[in-house]
This record gives sequence, structure tokens and C-alpha cells, in this order.
Amino acid sequence: MLMGIDVGGTHTDAVLVCRKGLLAWAKAKTHHGDLMRSIREVLTAIAAKAGAKAISRLNLSTTLSTNAIVEGLTEPVGVFVSAGPGIDARAYAVGEHYAVIPGCTDHRGRVTRPLDEARAREHAARCKAAHVSVYACVSKFSPRNPEFEESLRAVVHPQADFVSCGHEFSGQLGFPRRIHTAACNASVWRVFNRFADAVQRAALDFGLMGQVNILKADGGTMPLSVSRSFPVESILSGPAASVMGIIAVCDIAEDSVILDIGGTTTDIALFAEGAPLIEPDGAVISGRPTLVRALKTRSIGVGGDSALSVLEGQVRVGPRRLGPSMAEGGERPTLTDALNVLGRAELGDVSASRRGVNELARANGMDGETLAQDAALAAVTSIRAAVIELTRAVNDRPVYTIYELLEGKRVAPSRVYVMGGPAKALEGLLSEVFPEEVVVPEGYAVANAIGAALSRPTLSAELFADTQRGRMLIPGLDVEQDVPRTYSLDEAQADAAQRLGDYLNQLGVADPEALVETLEAQSFNMVEDGELVGRSIRVKCQVKPGVLPGYREAVRQPC
Amino acid sequence: MLKAADTLGVVFFPAYDWAISPTHPERQERLLYTQDQLREEGLFDIPGVREYKPDVALAHDVDLAHFTFPGVEEVLTSSHLVSAGGAMRAARLVMEREARRAFALVRPPGHHAMKVVHGTRGFCTVNVEAVMVETLRERYGVRRIAIVDTDCHHGDGTQDVYWHDPDVLFISLHQDGRTIYPGSGFPYELGGPTAMGSTCNIPLLPGTGDQGILHMLDHVVLPLIERFRPEIVINSAGQDNHFSDPITNMNFTAQGYAELTRRLGADIAVLEGGYSIQGALPYVNLGICLAMAGIDASGVVEPQYDPERVKQEQRITDYTLSLSDQLMSYFLDPPAMPKHGKAEGEWFVREKEVHYDTDAIFERQREKVLLCPDCSGVVSIESRADSGPLCLGVQIPPGACDACRERGHEEFETGQRSRNYRRAMLVDRPGRAVKRVLI
Ligand SMILES: [Zn+2]
Ligand SMILES: [Zn+2]
Repeated sequence: MLMGIDVGGTHTDAVLVCRKGLLAWAKAKTHHGDLMRSIREVLTAIAAKAGAKAISRLNLSTTLSTNAIVEGLTEPVGVFVSAGPGIDARAYAVGEHYAVIPGCTDHRGRVTRPLDEARAREHAARCKAAHVSVYACVSKFSPRNPEFEESLRAVVHPQADFVSCGHEFSGQLGFPRRIHTAACNASVWRVFNRFADAVQRAALDFGLMGQVNILKADGGTMPLSVSRSFPVESILSGPAASVMGIIAVCDIAEDSVILDIGGTTTDIALFAEGAPLIEPDGAVISGRPTLVRALKTRSIGVGGDSALSVLEGQVRVGPRRLGPSMAEGGERPTLTDALNVLGRAELGDVSASRRGVNELARANGMDGETLAQDAALAAVTSIRAAVIELTRAVNDRPVYTIYELLEGKRVAPSRVYVMGGPAKALEGLLSEVFPEEVVVPEGYAVANAIGAALSRPTLSAELFADTQRGRMLIPGLDVEQDVPRTYSLDEAQADAAQRLGDYLNQLGVADPEALVETLEAQSFNMVEDGELVGRSIRVKCQVKPGVLPGYREAVRQPC
Repeated sequence: MLKAADTLGVVFFPAYDWAISPTHPERQERLLYTQDQLREEGLFDIPGVREYKPDVALAHDVDLAHFTFPGVEEVLTSSHLVSAGGAMRAARLVMEREARRAFALVRPPGHHAMKVVHGTRGFCTVNVEAVMVETLRERYGVRRIAIVDTDCHHGDGTQDVYWHDPDVLFISLHQDGRTIYPGSGFPYELGGPTAMGSTCNIPLLPGTGDQGILHMLDHVVLPLIERFRPEIVINSAGQDNHFSDPITNMNFTAQGYAELTRRLGADIAVLEGGYSIQGALPYVNLGICLAMAGIDASGVVEPQYDPERVKQEQRITDYTLSLSDQLMSYFLDPPAMPKHGKAEGEWFVREKEVHYDTDAIFERQREKVLLCPDCSGVVSIESRADSGPLCLGVQIPPGACDACRERGHEEFETGQRSRNYRRAMLVDRPGRAVKRVLI
């Protein structure tokens, strides 16, 4: 039996799924100051029905890291950065304990100027004096040679509670992203680990013997033990849970759009031939890009609680949220109130909705019905505009070979799946503005928790080999080995897949059904003075994100 | 946080599936390390800097720039259409104000492709800048354009395409033609009889460094541009002046390129040559991108940079000083007629031989331009590649007078009737028509 808990912005949802179907579900308010309380509440409600012993796996999505970062509840990080020539690394400073240490590695991983360890020790001493105890060590081109990051770690390790090294996150290039990722990771390390302790304790208290996993932004899971070192990977797992939920509940085979309309925002995701699109570079956290692998989602400020306003006769919805709807005791009319007025929803005190909408209408010389109609239309129109924009951006993404450019597949959604609180109320209006078929799955209210329950471990790896130097690296898996000059692209692909499998085994989450797919495989001749001196080989592969097929049939709903 | 002072669109297209041959300098690996560097630096994450994919040029776009024989489909591969399309995309970004500036980091390059194209020379088949310039004119009505070619090799192709065009100022800075391919680009090459002074060649001695090139920029290039008053400035950004380039002999650095880019302030740059793919391109391309976006580029230094090694000798400094004076006086008081060619009645005729080194083709041309007092004149080129059939290309230029339009059609019809030519092509720019005939 699988259990999924999705800690959302307003509600915490939980489901229990067995091979016969959805066994139980529970909902509780999310207590932002005390997430464990919400988790315990839904656990209590559900575990009783199943008997905790029968639960083989608990998957948990949490906004904890995201919130800690957004709300600035993180701790100061000592950041060591080695950059060398290029954009001045001081431009990427995070926090007050940031230092650029001289030394340089080039794009092939060759050290062109040694690391100035004396300077690193000076910075370590300053950090110690400032009582900093978590650290991030990042060097330019570390995916090509992590030597500097390891040296920096060695310098600071004796005084550290925790050290994040840039190359552990991804083999993908992106120095500023690597700095931000490693620093974010270190800054939420302690708060996340306290949460992980509490989750473990709660599981124990409930007699839960199964494995506990944390959902990642790419829709996959990682064991709780791994999440302790990579807490930053748990950000944005909320939208990921929704997307995985739709995959679990509906049988999506074609290009589609997923809309998750919540209280404050609408999250948009795209599917190509039934597979969710991944953000190629990484998620953005508090305005700065990272290397955290994530599903490609866009968020716009339109949700049930979005405040209504009128500007020069134009009715606008959001992007601000100024408290709950008037139907729920708020002070300003919201989209939910408009839907109540239109009779499309019946939430809370409908007469309060009518009062609020009418008042706003009168103040602007309109009638309430028209205002509500305009508001609902404005909401669905801006959702549609955002969908078009996202689709355009995806189809416009750069490609690097003539083949890809000329044969380029375009994403052309034919269905729009809608979930979240206001989904049913907006269904009709969405059908009017979207030419695509609009579908609201039956279990839209808890699909996110189902998604969390059924998500499988995912992992991706980038392999880089330089046969002239006789080296092969897979930075994210901490693999570094010598290879012969004859090392080939085929061998590299096989190695990457093999190492991914090994790593999953090592984590104890081996998945016999996991499909390792190669996302990129390229081999370039390296020529010097007209002579072939070696090959630069790049392979990118992943365990394809998806839901457990065995349970999929059980939760399938009419879509 | 970093932010671009000027928004920059980068059309990056490394063509990872195209090469002339596996070990040729113009091969798949060429932009690999540039991509690594740009990615690692996070260039495309800087607000105001965005990456775009190229458009794909159509045969018609190529026809506006070239007489291609036997035809566009036969001579060009998709990679050429994509490279030209990359430059077109850059132009579109700037003209449609999606970006203040744009850089087409595309390959293969194009500046050795001349007006007539039978094949590939100097790694170039289609002049991607020329295709872009004609797009600027056809789609956006731009008239006066300045092209500054900073490739180490003379931009003989671009010079040839615009030889008779007084509305395109073409300036080429390059290593002296007596010491390097293609062997042309001397100060007396000033343009055709109806466009004298719209071509400017600045040959530099081998060993010239940042100081010399920046001197020429300040004392010749920028004053000429100011005098010409172009609506748009394009940089043919070849990067083989770099001290580490394997096929040239100059001493330019990444800092020099960045500074040149900053001072020139081109609206659009298009990558040309540059074959030091590890030691120079990643740094030079980064420096150019930063300079175009108005971001500090002073930290971009090649790992092998050694100020002593790239120091410019005094004799070179002396030469650049006297050359800049000479060139300016030449331009302020040009001779009445070009050095090569002669008047034959109303036409000015030039015999040319073109060697396509990459494809081993030898071509003979008889090019004539009508000496029209009202416009730049109809151009008619008779061309034969090796022992192939004789071909005819007639161009009625944009802005041609009515008499020239008539003469152009007449020339084309007479050519067809004469049965001297196997293939003939007419480009009527004011009439927005292209005709190709097989006789
Ligand atoms: Zn060149
Ligand atoms: Zn005329």
C-alpha cells in the first residue's frame, strides 16, 4: 500500500492507494508555522483506516525548503568560489560570507592556474569568527574537474556542520546556477533536517515501517536519507505532485496542457506525447536560476482568492491576493466570489459574495452580474494567454543541429486537463476560450496526493569524457575514472546507464521497471594541428519520470 | 545582480552535424567550447540576454544576394540555409525591437562568398551577411548600411557583392593580402565606378596587436562611418586575428575584441572565421557578447594570455599611424575611376578570375555596370566555371532608375536570344521579381 502526502499552500492532502484503488483520503489545513501538525493530522486520519504496517511507502511533497527560502528563514552560508577569467564572480555574490578564491580550471577541466589555498583558509577563518557553520564550495567548470571544490571542502570541513559542493548537483554547466544551488542547499540544510527528523519520528510513532521518500521538482522521488544532503531538490515539489497526479489519474498519450488552479496561482505544465516537459536548465528559486532539475511549469497570479479590481472600466483578476474570498469572510471580492455570483460555484456564504461584487460594481458604474462575468472571462483569458506564451517558448527553444532544426517536433496540445479547487467552476468558461478539449478529471481535488503517492525515484546524470586526457566523469554521481584513448560514445552511453542503475541500487530504491533514456549523446573529434588527438564525449541520460504502472490501473478515473 | 545595459539576442547555432571534413578547421567541434563557456558563464541567464534559434533562409532570400549557378538547391546544403537564416533571425530581432543588438553565432561562415556562386571558397558558400542585408532592405526598408569586417582575412566576397552599391559602406580590416589568403584587400580597392569610396580596405602587417587595430578603428573606421551616416552598422565578426589562431599571424586578444566591439557599437554582429577553437573562440565570443550587451568584459582573459607575447612592435605602430593618414586622404580625395577595368561605351567592364579553393573550381567573369548618372546602374555578369556552360546574371539594383530597369530587362532578353548562355538569371529589385531560365 502506498501513501502520498502533498503539503500544499492552503491544504495538506493525503491518500492511501492499494492495487485495487484509492483506499482513503484526508484533507487538513496547512499550518505554515508547523507543517508537522498538518502531516500528523492527515496521518492520523488515514493510518487508522489502513493499519500503518500495511503501508510500504510514504511519499511526501513539501513546501518547506521553498518557504524557508522565500521567507528568508535560512541560515548564513560561507561561500567559497573559484572562478578564473570570465564574468566577474563578485556579480554572483550570495550572502555576506562570500569570497572569490584565485585559481582557474578551463572548459576541458585543465587547471590553468592553481587554487590559492592560503586565501581559502583566510576566508574560512573569517567565517568561523562569524559563527558560520554551513558552507558551499563552487568552482568554475567543476563538472569537468571537481578538484578545486574538493580542495575547498577539505579546507572548511573541520569547522563545518555541512558542506555543499557544486558538482554534486549536476553535470550540467552553469557556474552562477551552481553557486546559487549549492548556497541554497546549505542554507536550508538545518531547517530541512529538523523537519526530516520530525517526519521520521512521526512515521515511527504511527508504526510506519515502509520507506519514506521526498518528492522532487522533477516529479521523481528521493529517499529521505538522500534528501538530508540535497534538501534544495525538494523545492517546487508541489506543482510536480499535481502533474504526476494527472499522469496517474488520466491516461495522457498526446500533447496536452495541465492547469492546476489553486487559491493564489495557476500552475501550467506541458506534456509532449504524454510525457511531462522538464526545464532544460533548472528551476528558478527566489528569482535566481539554479541547477535543480524541475518539470517545466509556469505560474501566473490567477487563482480562486485573486482579488478583483477595476481599472479604467477594465475588470482585472489578481495578481494580488488580499485575503480569502468574501464568501469565506474576506474583505474584498475575489474570483471565487465572482463564480458564486454567476452560479458557477457555491462556496461558503454566497450572499456575501453577491454583496461584495455588487459594491465593487456600483463604485465603478457597472452591474454586479456584468462585473462577475468580465472577471471570470479575464481570468480564463489570462490563463489562455499564459498557455500560448509557454507553448511558444517551448517551440522556440534553441536546437543545435540541422537535423533537429529542420525535423523539429513542435508541441501542439490537443487537450487541457484542469485540476485544483476552482477547476469545476471554471470548466465551462475555459471550454469557451480554449479551442482544445477541456477535461476536468473526477478526482481533481486529491490528484496531487495521488501523484505524490505513485511517483517513482528519478535520477539524471551527465557524463563527460575527454579521451585525449583519458578521463571520464559523471559529476552528479561522483564518478571519476580513467578511460582508454579508444573509449567510444557507445561505451559512454552504456556506462552512464549502468552507473545510474548502480546508484539507485545503492540507495535501496532499485526499480526494475525504471526506464533509462538517453537525452543527449554526442561525440566530437578533437583536432590539434590537423591531427585527431581524441574525442570529447557528452552523454546525458535519466531515469524517466513516471508513476508506478502497477497502481496506475487502480487509480485511473474517467478523464 | 548582473543586467544587460543593452538587450542582446544571441542566435547560437553550432551546427553540430555539419563539417567540411572530419579534421577541417571548419568542423563540428568549432563552437563546442564557445557553447561550454557561454553556458558555464550563465550568459543566457543574465536578464536582457536571450538565446534564439535561427530562421531558415529560402532560395529566394539567397537569390537577392547571389547569382547561384546552376541553382540554390544544387550548390547550397541545409547548413548554409540555416547559417544565413541565423543572420536573418538576428536582423529580425533588432528590426522588430525584440533586442537592441543581436549576434548571430552561426557556422559555416560566409564572407568569402562572392556575388556569383558556383561552389565553396575559403570555407564559405553563401554570404550570410549579404543575405541578411538584403533581408533588411526587402522586409524592413533599410537603405544605408555599414558593414565592418574584422575577420583576419580580407572580406573579398562581401566586397564583391557590394562593389557597385553606394548605399553599403564596406570596411575590411585584415592581415595584408600579400601574406595571407585570399590575397586581396588593398587600399586602392574603393568600389566600382558608381560606388567609389563605399569600399575601404585596411591591410595590417602580420603581428599587429590590439593597439594597431584599435588605432585603425578610431582613426579610419569610426570617422568613415560617421561620414557615411548608415541606418544600421553590422560587424562581420571574424575572430582569427587572435594571437592563438592556427591559420593567421596576428596578435589580437579577447580584450582587444571586446574593446573593438564596445567602441564600434554595431547593431548586429555575425560570426565569420576564427579557428583557435579552444584558446580563443570561447573567450573572444564571450567578450563580444558581453560588450554588445553593455556588460563589463574586463575579466575575460585567455588562459594563455601573456602581455609580452602579444606586444606590438614599434615598426608596426609606425606603419599603422602612417596607413591611417594615407587612407583618410585617399577617401577624402578619391580617384575618379577604379584601378581595374575600363569603360566600353555606356558600360564599365572588369574581367575577373575567381578561384574556389575549397571546391577546386576556377571561374572566369566579365562583369559590367551601366554608367548611369541617375542611379548605381544595372550590373550584368557573364560567368563560366571551369569548362562548364556560360551563365548570365543581371541585377537591377534597389533604387534603380526607370531607364535602368528597362535596360536590365533588355540585357536579360538579349542574353536569352543570343543563345550564348546555358543559364540566365535576372534579379529585378524594384519590381520584386527574380527570374531564372535554362536555355
Ligand atoms: Zn578569416
Ligand atoms: Zn539608372
